[in-house]
Amino acid sequence: MSKDSQMRAVINQKLIEMGERERLKELLRAKLIECGWRDQLKAHCKEVIKEKGLENVTVEDLVAGITPKGRALVPDSVKKELLLRIRAFLAQHAT
Amino acid sequence: MKMEEMSLSGLDNSKMEGIAQDILTDLVEDACLGLCFDVHRAVKQGYFFLDDTDQESMKEYEIVDQPGVDIFGQVYNQWKNKECVCPNCSRSIAASRFAPHLEKCLGMGRNSSRIANRRIASGNNTNKSESDQEDNDDANDNDWSYGAEKKAKKRKSDKNPNSPRRSKSLKHKNALLGPKRRAENQESPCVLLRDEPFSQ
Repeated sequence: MSKDSQMRAVINQKLIEMGERERLKELLRAKLIECGWRDQLKAHCKEVIKEKGLENVTVEDLVAGITPKGRALVPDSVKKELLLRIRAFLAQHAT
Repeated sequence: MKMEEMSLSGLDNSKMEGIAQDILTDLVEDACLGLCFDVHRAVKQGYFFLDDTDQESMKEYEIVDQPGVDIFGQVYNQWKNKECVCPNCSRSIAASRFAPHLEKCLGMGRNSSRIANRRIASGNNTNKSESDQEDNDDANDNDWSYGAEKKAKKRKSDKNPNSPRRSKSLKHKNALLGPKRRAENQESPCVLLRDEPFSQ
């Protein structure tokens, strides 16, 4: 394991241990619902389902169909806010 | 692994930024996965399409997103600029101020009758009496509440506090006085007649 990945592992561990990752997850979830991201993606899900058929759709189908669009649809403001918090955490706990 | 063994102070900002971006990507992917699991379960359990109705209703009640209009498609500040002419004083009043103006103008609302009564009360106390009361009468010509109050006051003094009717226990007792009502003739023989079946 390179020093970099070791370091990342340490940071991730700290993130989880201090409960910050959970808080960040909740914050992101709330923001995404607020800005309509979740509803947009749900509508996209409907298309995937209609394509694959209601009975046959699998988790993999949905993940493959949704994730790229989901990553692209996150609004910049939400990204910025999350990054601010992450950077603050890193500054506080990783140096 | 202790933090001291890992010297992170030598890191430059770009690495930190890279790490931060990665963390963000992870979080977004988690959110996407969460959504996929939710949707998949909803599909398999059969409640995914539950809140949809037929196409027609969907179109009809779709959320409206135009400027100047609320989500139902109604214009909400339609009355901001309109003006109405007051039937009483013939002035042109802004629509949102129209109701309170009418209240004061006609002298009919809760507040305006309170103010008027206060004025009357103070008009009785200070000996400005005549002119004030006449003015109030004119202004309150249409004021039914004021008139009703007058009537109510009259009624109270009409009731005889000594009337035997007052107490319920005397309800069936036949007092020779009989019930004291405004229009009844107490000497009418029917009063006596009525008494008989109740006599003990």
